[in-house]
Amino acid sequence: MSHTVIDPHTFDELQANAGADFVAELVDTFGDEAPPLLAELRSALAAGAAERFRRAAHSLKSNSSTFGATRLAAMARELELGGLPAGAEPIDALAQEFETTLAALQALARP
Amino acid sequence: MSAHSALLEAGHFGRFEIVLSERRLQVDGQPVPLGSRAFDLLAALVTRRDRVVPKDELIDVVWPGLVVEDNNLQVQISALRKVLGAQAIATVPGRGYQFTIAAVAPGSSVVNANATEAKGPRVHERTGAGALRKSRLLVADDNKVNRLLLCRSLELMGHEVASVDNGRAALQMLRAEHVDMLLLDLEMPEMDGFGLLEQRAADPALLDVPVIVTSSLEGAAQVARCIELGADDYLHKPVNPVLLKARVESSLERKHLRDRQRELLARLAPELREGAATSSGATSARRGEATLLLARLRDVDALASAQPAQETIELLSSWTTLMLDAIESHGGQVHQMTGDGVAAVFGLAAEPSRDGDASWAAVQAAQEMIELVAQFNAERSSLGKAPIAPSIGIASGEVVAGHAGTPRRATYVCVGAAVQRASRLEALAADRAAGAVLIDGATHAALAGRVATDTVPALALPGSAKEVPVHALKARA
Repeated sequence: MSHTVIDPHTFDELQANAGADFVAELVDTFGDEAPPLLAELRSALAAGAAERFRRAAHSLKSNSSTFGATRLAAMARELELGGLPAGAEPIDALAQEFETTLAALQALARP
Repeated sequence: MSAHSALLEAGHFGRFEIVLSERRLQVDGQPVPLGSRAFDLLAALVTRRDRVVPKDELIDVVWPGLVVEDNNLQVQISALRKVLGAQAIATVPGRGYQFTIAAVAPGSSVVNANATEAKGPRVHERTGAGALRKSRLLVADDNKVNRLLLCRSLELMGHEVASVDNGRAALQMLRAEHVDMLLLDLEMPEMDGFGLLEQRAADPALLDVPVIVTSSLEGAAQVARCIELGADDYLHKPVNPVLLKARVESSLERKHLRDRQRELLARLAPELREGAATSSGATSARRGEATLLLARLRDVDALASAQPAQETIELLSSWTTLMLDAIESHGGQVHQMTGDGVAAVFGLAAEPSRDGDASWAAVQAAQEMIELVAQFNAERSSLGKAPIAPSIGIASGEVVAGHAGTPRRATYVCVGAAVQRASRLEALAADRAAGAVLIDGATHAALAGRVATDTVPALALPGSAKEVPVHALKARA
């Protein structure tokens, strides 16, 4: 499956419905909220806490879909539904994709 | 609301003293009788006197959950101006009304005990004719991005929105404050959405608040569980704004309709409120001395043929609202409404009334009806419309009242010779001068001279050998 970083249609719709200024603030909020969720994934994995892991992945998936960040959403969804992974690699990949996504969102939000 | 009376215990405004907790208004130390709606309106204006209060807001406060015409508000404003002087309430064209008399500060201790209430909610200036009732919505979601976005979407729809980040806080807010609808996330700390729905299912007071679940949990089982637990609707996240608007508005409409039906039901048969089931009339049946009042709008046929149908229906609902206000503010109970006519019984309340109380209350209600209609006519005249006139008959005697019908459809009924007599007197009043109030001998005797009357030729009733003495109320100065 190939996913674009940001689905432009979803993001345009969001701006049209909620207002571009508001969406720019919302992107900033996402930038603040996502790193603690990534940290929660790591800590849940270390503790073997599958439910905490699922919840953090679920939140990341939910927020990513809101912005049309389809690739990040798909990766988070795999973690949400896939149970505790064997190692931290999927989390590293997710964190890297988050950085790419956030940069793309910021560029779209404040052109 | 109880909090409402607590926040403004007493206020002195020049010649006026307003005691909210006792629902009392005094002018120059003398108590002034004020209808209950008029009093609610005065209280609303006084507590918000630092600003212009929009009509919609006043209607929301005074007729909560009811859809009423602006006319009704204008009539009540006129009634207040009559008591307080025209300058006491300023009309700000296109914006609303403002109470203008300054409080007399020293001594009048707690006039403004609650600063937030005095400031009041910020009210959106509403444009155009689409006066959709503004609702207060609560969003419960622990995810900040979701929460902000949902709040924003609902605010853009014109609603007032509060938010919390867990189920327990949501539950507390539902119990403590007025909320028209809850938008609920499922996965939350403290108490999750399912936990909240379970608590709500066990609390009849909370079941009135519709809940729309918003979640990105996958699988039909979750949706099914929410619906089983009493959620009204389910929206998958990310929430589609078009769907959101449609579902929210439909649920709110149903809620406002239910609120309105409940209020109407309570007005028509207060005993239903206490859950006096309709299964058996025996539980609510009562026999006793009571006073019956029948008020009818004169010449309704002529009015109806001279104006568009919509205008007639609006007039009839304004008329009925005014009559109900007068009846309720004097403790009467409506037992029949026919559009142009309203029948009410006084003196059958739970606690036995003193002799003459029922007659006195009914006559007071009649006088208030005449005054409210006079105010209403003043408004109509300024719009170039013809005045309306009521005719009123009042009679006292023994009646039997209670709920009758089937469990599915019951109505409050009241039977007795006095019911017939009130109806005959009303018909007789309709032939007299506008605004005539005719009372029977029994009512007249119970009033013991407290009200000025003229004697009118006695009334012969079919099936009765004796004629009924009739008196006409003199207009109150």
